Order: sequence, then C-alpha cells, then structure tokens
Amino acid sequence: MDTKSIFIKAKQLLLKQKAVLAILAMIILMLFFDTQFFTAYNWMNIFRSATVQGIIAMGVTMTVLCAACDLSVGGTMCLSGVIAIMMINGGAPIPVACICALLSGALVGAINGFLVVHQRTEPFIITLGMGTLLKGISQLLTDAHPVACTNMSFMQISNTKLFGQIPILILYMLIIFLLFFWILRFTNYGRNCYAIGGNYEVAKYSGINVLAIKWSAFVISGLAAALAGILLSSRMNSASSVYGDNTGMLVNCGVVIGGTSFAGGVGGAAQSFIGIFVLQLMTNCMDCLGIGAYIQQLLQGVIIVLILGFDCYGRLRKRERV
Amino acid sequence: MEQKKDLILKISGVTKRFPGVLALDNISLEVPKGVVYGIVGENGAGKSTLMKILSGVYEKDAGTIEFDGEVIERTTPIQALHRGLSIIYQEFNLVNTMTVGENIFLGRFSENHGMRGTHKKARELLDSIGSKIDTYALVGDLSASEMQMVEITKALSFDSKLIIMDEPSSSLTAEELKKLGEIIFQLRDRGISIIYISHKLDEIFEYCDIVTIMRDGCVIDTKPIGELDRSEMIAKMVGRTIENEYPPRAHFVGEPLLEVRNLNTSKLHNINFTLHKGEILGLVGLVGAGRTEIIRAIYGADKVKSKELIMEGKPVTVTTPRDAKALGMGLVPEDRKQQGLILRFSAGDNITMAALSRTAKRGILNRRKEKEIAKRQIENLLIKTPGAGTKVLNLSGGNQQKCIVGRWLELDPKILILDEPTRGIDVGAKYEIYVLMNKIVEAGGAIIMISSELPEVLNMSNRVLTICDGRITGEFSPEEVPADIIMDRAIG
Amino acid sequence: MEKTFNLKRAALQNLVLLGIVVLCVVTAIVEPLFLTQSNFTNILRQFGPLSFVALGMTYVIIGGFIDLSVVGIISLVGVVTLSLIDPIGQVGALLCGLLLGTALGFLNGIVLVKFGAMTQAEVLFITYGMSSIFGAIALIYTNSETEHMSRLANPYTIFTFIGNGKIGPFAASVILFAAALAMIEWFYRKTLWGRQIALMGGNKTAATLCGYNMKRTMVLVYTICGLFSAIGSIVLISRVTTASPVAGAGYETDAIMSVVVGGTALAGGTGSGIRTVLGVLLIILLSNCMNLLGVSTYVQTIMDGVVLVIAIWLDNRKEQQIH
Repeated sequence: MDTKSIFIKAKQLLLKQKAVLAILAMIILMLFFDTQFFTAYNWMNIFRSATVQGIIAMGVTMTVLCAACDLSVGGTMCLSGVIAIMMINGGAPIPVACICALLSGALVGAINGFLVVHQRTEPFIITLGMGTLLKGISQLLTDAHPVACTNMSFMQISNTKLFGQIPILILYMLIIFLLFFWILRFTNYGRNCYAIGGNYEVAKYSGINVLAIKWSAFVISGLAAALAGILLSSRMNSASSVYGDNTGMLVNCGVVIGGTSFAGGVGGAAQSFIGIFVLQLMTNCMDCLGIGAYIQQLLQGVIIVLILGFDCYGRLRKRERV
Repeated sequence: MEQKKDLILKISGVTKRFPGVLALDNISLEVPKGVVYGIVGENGAGKSTLMKILSGVYEKDAGTIEFDGEVIERTTPIQALHRGLSIIYQEFNLVNTMTVGENIFLGRFSENHGMRGTHKKARELLDSIGSKIDTYALVGDLSASEMQMVEITKALSFDSKLIIMDEPSSSLTAEELKKLGEIIFQLRDRGISIIYISHKLDEIFEYCDIVTIMRDGCVIDTKPIGELDRSEMIAKMVGRTIENEYPPRAHFVGEPLLEVRNLNTSKLHNINFTLHKGEILGLVGLVGAGRTEIIRAIYGADKVKSKELIMEGKPVTVTTPRDAKALGMGLVPEDRKQQGLILRFSAGDNITMAALSRTAKRGILNRRKEKEIAKRQIENLLIKTPGAGTKVLNLSGGNQQKCIVGRWLELDPKILILDEPTRGIDVGAKYEIYVLMNKIVEAGGAIIMISSELPEVLNMSNRVLTICDGRITGEFSPEEVPADIIMDRAIG
Repeated sequence: MEKTFNLKRAALQNLVLLGIVVLCVVTAIVEPLFLTQSNFTNILRQFGPLSFVALGMTYVIIGGFIDLSVVGIISLVGVVTLSLIDPIGQVGALLCGLLLGTALGFLNGIVLVKFGAMTQAEVLFITYGMSSIFGAIALIYTNSETEHMSRLANPYTIFTFIGNGKIGPFAASVILFAAALAMIEWFYRKTLWGRQIALMGGNKTAATLCGYNMKRTMVLVYTICGLFSAIGSIVLISRVTTASPVAGAGYETDAIMSVVVGGTALAGGTGSGIRTVLGVLLIILLSNCMNLLGVSTYVQTIMDGVVLVIAIWLDNRKEQQIH
C-alpha cells in the first residue's frame, strides 16, 4: 500500500471516529501547557477513573447495539453497592455478598428486558423510570446516609496495586473489556446482537431468536452495572444512594459519543470505551488546567449537545427531506 | 409419476383472500428442475402475494404446495430457506451495518468456526459465481448489483434448489444486468431452478425458458418462451377492461394552470411539463422511477436543486408544503398510514385537518364549523362511518382514503395530487374515488395522478407522462395510443 | 357483552380517576384523618412547583417529544430570580425570571430544530445536555451557594404571597395554578397553534403535508415548557424562601410521571393539561395517604418509581390496543 492511500484511509477513519479526533485534539492541546498531564501517574489515574463507567458502558453497549438503551444503570450500580456493603456489614462472607449484588443487577436487567422486549415499551423512558425506582430502594436501604463498610478486606478488591504501581481496577477494566470485545466480535451471540440492531426483521427471518437475545442484552447490562457498583463501593469503602446520580445518562451519552449508534447495529466495545474515555480525559485535562467543576459540567454539556446534535444532523442530511 | 419427479415446485389451487380483495384465485404452477421460469404481470397481479406464501410470510387459504416432492403445509421463512427455497426480494433482506461474509451466514456464525471460517466460506461461495466482492466490505457500502450478488450467494449457502428473484433488475445498470444474466445461466446449469419475476419483458425473453402470465390474482397463461411474442405477452398482461370498472372519462381540459420548468433534484433530471385546468394528468412509471419524487418536489416536500413553477401565468415559489397549500394545491400521499392519517384521531379530525387554518379566525378555532365540515364531507364522499367521532383507524382502507381526499376537497383545491389513491382498497371504493376525481375536474380543478395500476391511469387520465430513471420519457394521450406502447416507454 | 367491553374500555381510559377514587376510599376507611378539612387544605397546597412543571411537560409530550432540560431551567431561573430582587426590585426580578425560562425553552426548541432531532431518543439526550449546561451556569452564577430570601435588602412580598399567601380559603399558588391551567388549556384546545401541537404528536409528516409549520410548533412546545418550568421555579423559591443551584434535580422524572400517570400517551397526539392535573393529584394523594399511614419517605420514592413504571407499561398496553 502506498503512502497516499494509507493517508486517505487514516483520514477517513478519523473523520468517522470523531471521538478519537477529540482525544488527539485534547492531547495536542495539553502539549502547550506545563501540567502534570503527561505523567504516568496521571494516565493511570485517567484509566482508573474510567473503570467504573467503562465497565457499565460495556453492558450498555449490548443494549444499544440491539437498538435499545439502558438508562437505569446508574440506579443498578448504586443498589448493587448498597446491597454488597450492607450484606457484608451484616456478617455475610464477601463472595456471597458480591454474588447477591450481581444477582440484583441481573434481576433488574431481566425486568427491564421483559418490559422493553416482551412488552415493547419505549426503552428510554421505562429505564429512566426504573432508575428512579432503584434509587428509591437504595435510599430506603441506607436511610439516605452513606454506609461505610466495616470489613476492611472488602476494600482490597479495588484498592490493591499490582507490582505496587498499577491500580488493580485497570486490570479489571482490561479483562471486562477484552471479554466484551471477544463476545461482540467473535461469538455467534455477539454477531446476532449486531444483526438485531442492524435490521430487526431480517434478523428475525434469518432464524435468530431476537426476543431472547435482546432480553439477555438487558440482563448483561444489569450485571455489568452491578459489577461496577461493587467495584465502586469497594474503592470508596462505602455505599451511598447518591452514587450514580448522573451515571446512567452520562454512560449512555458516552457510548453514543464513541460511535455506537442508537439506531442499533453500529459500534462495539472499543468504540464505547473510547467514548467514555473522551469524557474522562476531558475531565482530567480540565482538572490539570485548574478549571473549576462547574465550568467542567458546562463544557461537558456543550460537548454532549454538539456531538449528539451533529449525529442527528448527519442523519437529517441523509434523509434530505424537508 | 415420472414427470412429477422432475418438478421442484408444484403449486395447485392456491387461493389467498385479504379483507375485500381476492389476492390469489386458484393459482396453479409447475416449475421443473433446472429451468429459468418467468412470471410476468402488472402490479397487483398477485405475484408478490404468491412469493410471500411460498416463503411463509403469509398463510394460504386453500390449495397445496409441493416443494421437491414434499407437501408443505406451513412454513416459516427460515424453514423455507433450510428446505432450499430462497427468495431475493426487491428490497434486499440484508443487514447494511454488517459485512458481506456475515450477511451470507447471518445467524449461522458458529457453524463456520468463527469469523475467519465464515469469511473463508463466503469467499469460496462468491468465487463459485465469479464475484470479486470483498467479504469484509460493509453491505451498506455496496452497489445494488453487488448486494444482489450477496443475496444470491446467501441463497447458495443454504444449498438452494429454487431461487426466486423478485424484480431483480429494477436497480441495475445494463452492464450489471448482463452479469446477472451470466450468473442466472450458470445457476441453471448447476440444476438450480430460478423463478424470475419482472416487468421488463426484454429480460424475460432473454433469460426465461417458460413464462407464466398473471393478472388479477389468476394465472392467465403458461407457455414456453418460444411460443410467445412480445405483443401477445403485453396484451395478456394488460388485457381486459372490464366494463364499468371506470366511469366515463372526463373532458374538461382548459387553459394551462401550472407549468413546471427545469425541475432538478438529486434523483430527477430536467423535468418540464404543463398541467391544464380540468385535466387529469397521469404519471406512469415503475416504482422508484421518480414519480413520487416529482410531485413531492413540486409540493415543496423535498429539497430541490432547481425548480420554476408558473401558476396561471405568474411565477410562484413553493419551498414548503405550506406554500403549496396557500397556492391551492393538495397532496394525498402514497402511504396513507405513515404520511396521511393521524390514526389515533377521529375521522372528523382527520377530515378537518387541512381546513383548520381556514376555519380559524385570528388563530382561534371554530369547533362548530369543524363539525359542519366533517359532516359535509362524510355525506359528500359517502364515507361509511358510524359518526365523525369514530377513530379513523377503525375505518376500511377506502374510507380512510376518502377522509384524506375530503380533507382537501373542503379547500376547493386548484390542483389535487393523488399518489396511489386506490392502493389497497376494494373495487367499489375505487370506483367511488374515480367518480370523485371526475367531479373535481368538472369543478375546474386539475389532478396529477400516480398509480402503479396501469389500466387505472390510462382509463382516468386525459394525458399521461411516462417517467423512467428520473426523466420524462414520453407524453401520450391514452385515448389514442395503445397501452403497450405507453408501458414500453415507461419501462425504458 | 358489548356493554362489559365498553365498561372495560372506559375504565382503561380513565384509570387515573379510578385510582384516585380507590385511593381516597381506602385511605378514608383506614385513616379517618384523611377526611378532615385541614388535610384537604394540605393536599391542595401541594399543587406546588411540580404541577406547573408537569403542565409544561404535558404539551411537549402531546407533541410527541420529551424535555429533560426542566432540571436546569428550574435551577437557573430560581437563582437568577432571587439574586435580581435586590438590584432591580421584586417585580422586575419576577418578570426577568419568567423571561429567562421562556428564552431557555425557546433555545432548546431552536437547537433541536436546527440539529433536526426527530425521535424521542435524540431529543432526550440533547435536552439532557442542555440541562447540564443550564445547571452548570446556575452553579457558576451562585458559586454553588444557596441564596436566601431572608438576607435580601429589598422587599419580596410578592414571593411571600405566592409561596404562602391565601386568597379566600385557597393557597395563592393553587389559584395561580388554576389560572395557568385554564389559559394553557384554552390555548391548546381553542387555537390553531395549540391544535398543531396535537397534530405534531399525532403524525408530524401528515401535519407537514397539510401545510402546517412543524418546526415552529416544536419550538413552541419547548418554549411553553420553559415558561412553565420558570413559573414552577418561582413558586418553589417562594415556598422554601431559598434558591439552590441544584433545586431542579428530580423534577424531570416526577413531571414525566405526572403526565403519564394522568393518561397522556407518551406516543403523542392525545392528552390534556386536565389529565396531568389528575396525575399530579393522584401522586399527591398517594404521598398524603402514605404520610398519614406513617410510611417512610424512601418507600414513597420507591412507590413513585413503581407508579411510573406501571403507568408507562399501561400506557403502552393502551397503545397496542390501538394498533
């Protein structure tokens, strides 16, 4: 391949991957400032803070690929952390508590899936409502106070460092990411998800069990969110009903920013992770530059509106109808 | 007995009835192995219904279907595929967001040991028909002919014994068509039967061994291709004009009303024509030829590159449907449910929809006037409904259509555009709509009519324009020029 | 046979009324305090901020869309209004607050129309983004501190009146709400622009082809929602006499819930402000009855979620009967 065609291909790829472009832009921008940005410690920090949302995003990606979405993940994450910590405080062994927390996530996912897939409700609204419900349950369980974990070994799950350097959370993220990457890329199940999102009718007529697969995508999404909840509460060594207030919306936005489309069938684990990474990197850049939290929220809102807006605009241009 | 063994498909006495329509009336066909079998017929002749019964999308009401010596009572699309019966629809059944290889083995990813195996097998199949499409390419990026190759390959991957192609050439260039022909012959030589459904008679004569002509849900004739000539075939397709199916043609044509000049869009090229007062102008062409695009562009519903409209001698600008309405145009869109009706609203609300802006004084609605309008149009158009408050969704297709027509009649439109006004409605209601059209032109209005049913356009119009590939290819008076010549020009 | 069918349908159409009646009867039997006059006044008084926001949301949903930006609008309008009382006086502050809310709603509409957002999903996420922008501005504006009316130099009697005043036996906010409801319902039912909202929710394409300007209508519904969120916000700061830059949190789901519980279809096209009032009433009664029965507030949050999910599910069942 000659250099010119490589160049053209790279250009196409970049234009298609707006999120990658955004990452590059941010890195280049940071070259002009003398900050802590380019230290190994900082980058480890970025990845570590991307872990929780990244893991949730993997599950959400499954539902979005099937042309749905899951906004209840914030509530699921919060509830799972609360259940884990309260069970541990109540004397349950840590593995049992974690399994129960995961099961709660799977249950939430199963209910979401039933409502969306079998009862054909609008996923956006119903999962938003489900998120409120779950938050209420967490509030009830914790009496709306943060709950600290009394068993210190629970903290070890998320706060260990590999070789005394690398936060173990990054390893978890890597494993989960590779797992989802493999499922979506190389298994029959994953490819069927793409087919369902790409063209539901064709998938159905090709003998794919569309109902079961779409439903299971919600279960997986619930599981991933529950796992993220356990990791988060372990890292904080506490659980609170205020964790995850914005997580649901942010993760879904991140997934779409990465290039996994709400229309379904396009995207994947890598894209979703990049989308989440963009949001995290942005936060980190702004932290390094000493930009205040509120301006950060403002800029985040602007980015969300612009990227999603241009996504709509692109589809509008394609339709070319008034 | 001996002969039976050589048949791949035997259909006897298949009947299918839809509410108000007999879609298939006692159809019998026998398709031998290793032939190309043509089915021709106009739109609405029942070809696609037959295909959908074969593939298991619809259930037949009566008759038997025997495939490869086995009687098939019920089937689903996927079962039909596994039996070896593939159908390639006009609208491809492909997932645009996935690769060629995966589409060929959709839902059967694990059968081929993962991604690499899938693509390897897909490659082999594509090579076997001499296609060079990259199996890693996205289907959405392919041309129509390449997509067709993918569909054919998908059929081969199921070891199909019979491949049905529904209008396979509708979006192919001449070069691509030649390629398709080669592949069809190659498949036939492998012993695979092909049912080739098309409007385009040249292709039928070139590829097919046996031809069946269908019309109005019946088989009219089945003959080896050598025993038929073109004019005979067209005569049999277009065929009859049943007496009293159409009201007497209206003759009220007056001076020019609307001139369309230099209309260009991404799909239309240099459209020019004039519509006269009291005229019914028919647009004839295949689905996708650009008929709907023309009227949408005139009406301001689509973006245009250039457009000049002259109405009653004065240049006018129409950039939105709002402008068109203000000038006295009305549009009855092709897709009643998606573009015309508000299904959850009452019949009355649907009728008064367009007239609201007229009944309202300084933006305040007048409920009493609305009720009057609804009542007037229901009586005027003989809409069969328990009352104006009945949900429009509970009305029959014909009455729904009348609600949309009534919506515009209330405004006394100068130009009424009817896009497929009789699609999916029964014969009696069709006749009433025809009478209505005549009334409109009698009152001095003009009508632009699009219909896929050729006899309908020819019998109702004062003048027809043939449209092909976004261009006007001819202008005819249907009273003077025979149907087959017009159809020939529309086919291109 | 025919009759039972109709009865079932009528019940399905008016589930919210049925719910209200059942709730009242059950509570009255279990807890006689429910029927006292003071409790009745208490219930009416709760037609507070939420009912205004829900009313504004109603017309967005009838138009077939949804608006999550009410969160940001409520927060921002609240802090701006309160902070303006000192510099420009209470009347000016009130008007500026209303104007600001309307402008923010208008901005939402323009952004959505310009980007060509068509589906509920697209609208949902873009308005979420807008909401976080508005909320961020509120935080920056106040430096994340809560403003207090008691620290103001200028008088704020209008606000006190809106918050706690009475006209006859009724709370001022209830009267205000009744007036707003009457006006917006009149607009929706009797004017051409109002009718276009229903047409848009019913079938946007069909309405466009009938010569109506759907882009304008879309801007209109978001502007209405912005205005009503602003009123809601002003009622809120008047009640609690403080303005917090995060005051709007949670209002979006509560408002959507009130609308859907009232029986306005999420698919758009049908519904009314009156239905939303019933929805709000049901939710108030639910919380009132649980308060009387001594149920914890957290259980009430759960009940809210359950009611929302069930309401959406029932709404969807109704839809499927239509199609």
